[in-house]
Amino acid sequence: MSNPFPLDKGKLLHAYRQMKTIREFEERLHVDFGRGDIPGFVHLYAGEEASGVGIMMHLEDHDRIASTHRGHGHCIAKGVDVKGMMAEIYGKSTGSCAGKGGSMHIADLSKGMMGANGILGAGAPLICGAALAAQKLGHDGVGITFFGDGASNQGTVLESMNLAAIWNLPVLFVVENNGYAEATSVDYAVASDSFVDRAAGFGMPGITVDGTDFFAVYEAAGEIIKRAREGAGPTLLECKMIRFFGHFEGDAQTYRAPGENTENRKNRDCLKIFRTKVTEAGVLSEKELNTIDDEVMILIDEAVEEAQAAPLPTLEDLTKDVYVSY
Amino acid sequence: MSKVGIIANPVSARDIRRIISHAGNLPINDRANIVLRILTGLYTTGVEEVLVMPELGGIRAQLLRTIERESKMGTFRFPKVTYLDMPVTGTAEDSVEAARQMHDQDVGAIVVLGGDGTSRVVVSACGNTPVAGVSTGTNNAFPELREPTVTGLAVGLAVTGQVPSKYAFSFNKRLEVRVNDKREIALVDVCVVAERYIGARAIWKTDNFRDLFVTFGRPDGIGMSSVVGLLAPLDRETPEGRRVQLVPVGETENRLSAPIAPGLIEDIGIGVVETMKPNQLYQPSVSEGSFALDGERELTFSETDDVSIRLQIDAFRTINVLDCMTYSAKHGLLTSKANNRLARLIKNGRTS
Repeated sequence: MSNPFPLDKGKLLHAYRQMKTIREFEERLHVDFGRGDIPGFVHLYAGEEASGVGIMMHLEDHDRIASTHRGHGHCIAKGVDVKGMMAEIYGKSTGSCAGKGGSMHIADLSKGMMGANGILGAGAPLICGAALAAQKLGHDGVGITFFGDGASNQGTVLESMNLAAIWNLPVLFVVENNGYAEATSVDYAVASDSFVDRAAGFGMPGITVDGTDFFAVYEAAGEIIKRAREGAGPTLLECKMIRFFGHFEGDAQTYRAPGENTENRKNRDCLKIFRTKVTEAGVLSEKELNTIDDEVMILIDEAVEEAQAAPLPTLEDLTKDVYVSY
Repeated sequence: MSKVGIIANPVSARDIRRIISHAGNLPINDRANIVLRILTGLYTTGVEEVLVMPELGGIRAQLLRTIERESKMGTFRFPKVTYLDMPVTGTAEDSVEAARQMHDQDVGAIVVLGGDGTSRVVVSACGNTPVAGVSTGTNNAFPELREPTVTGLAVGLAVTGQVPSKYAFSFNKRLEVRVNDKREIALVDVCVVAERYIGARAIWKTDNFRDLFVTFGRPDGIGMSSVVGLLAPLDRETPEGRRVQLVPVGETENRLSAPIAPGLIEDIGIGVVETMKPNQLYQPSVSEGSFALDGERELTFSETDDVSIRLQIDAFRTINVLDCMTYSAKHGLLTSKANNRLARLIKNGRTS
């Protein structure tokens, strides 16, 4: 059978590898954080991989993204070094930001990753700046900002949508709607429950896709990003998705319905959905995917071992890297 | 007790057609207002209870706020509203489950907010329960454009038996698509596209179009059925369908500019146009691809699959709103006892 997908086999393998790497990275952090090995705080992206990877497959290094407190998946999908990320989360000097940022401040400007962000909704104005720069410099770069259903209520997000609309900036506002703002249901906390309606309020097109379906995200994001590069301006994309873990590690998740996590893992796992589609279509084999699984496990094991073995930043490092030149 | 179901799924009309063209976006608040207007029509005609599909998109929250507020104000004019007990997935599957439950609970009719796609999923699950479409979707070839208050009145008159069945209900055609043992339906059109994957569901890349099957096509229609409407129009009642072979524009001189989605008028290469006969099995002209049902890719097939398309007539019922209201006017159904003089004047052909 011919390949029915709009990606060749190599890109499909790459997409799976990226999603699997995010999944194993997060699953490993879940264990290591619970054991007390990791300083600070972590918010895990497991379950949401199809969104980050489906969007980032369309981007180049000169395209900028601004992430959230749940940013590991965005970082990996944008090409940030996994071992550097793990070391960063372990607070080691070999980390992406020399061990001084931690989980919520991983950044790598060489990859267009402007940073995870501990402040809700703070990525939106940053990405408007990046998009304005792309527009003024005359290259085809785009800016993508991710935020959750909770952060969508932040004034920064709404102001940024207004700014992007009036300046016709090449920005994609991605609402990763996993249904909960920390522990609060979106049904309770968002007065205009449709994020698409909010985009419409700024004269901006907006759509909703199934964020557990890589191919739905990939196709919609591809069309939006292509148009943004051509000058079509900003768009809002709502990805309805699942978060496998709590808001933060240690969250007892008492707000969830009984069996919700089990049901999600069983029926709404974006990796399983991807795997089923590509194997049933006869494009990728179980063997090929299993090989990637094994290689990713080795990568994550090595990342943890190297992070644990790496030195902590020294007192002399404290005042270094305070300012970054762009 | 007369009961009616209402399905207003907030995820309808949110797809990529808002990007590729300028398809409309009906805000959640307006959807809630539409439900309230339908409720008013149902209440006026004596419907006692309305079963509503639960959702977490905001329609329910606004609806309940309004009902509570109007109860306190003493202006309450709605039937009893009961939400179905079902899990909410935030997908089109909610519409399917709601239609199933409403059918099981013997509602007299289901009012559906949406376009062709949402109407399709409801009809696929509601058995012989009549439906009434309220045009709020992307492509709205199937649901007629009409004020929802009037649709509410007509549905109420129909399900309470005030309008006889022969006026109240219409029978409709549909298309059945089969891929091996899996069967799906389409109310308006089935488009065969050469790409064998679902992706973002909507169809807009015309060079991939290969076949079009329709139950009806109006010259002033929107969506893929407009192709038939502009080539060889067909109404909802005639017991036949149309099949049009579609070819890439570069391969033919026979081209048609058709409004295949709101704001999207595309040149389409046209091949043979033929009449579909009821219950006859038709094959797509390509060995692999996908079926877009009422505008959205739903099923894929390859050369190893056994596939067919079949036209079914008298397949499901809809509320005939115009005939209900015409009957109502003719028989004074909405004139009240306190206003018998008006009824007599109408009967005598004098209204002033």
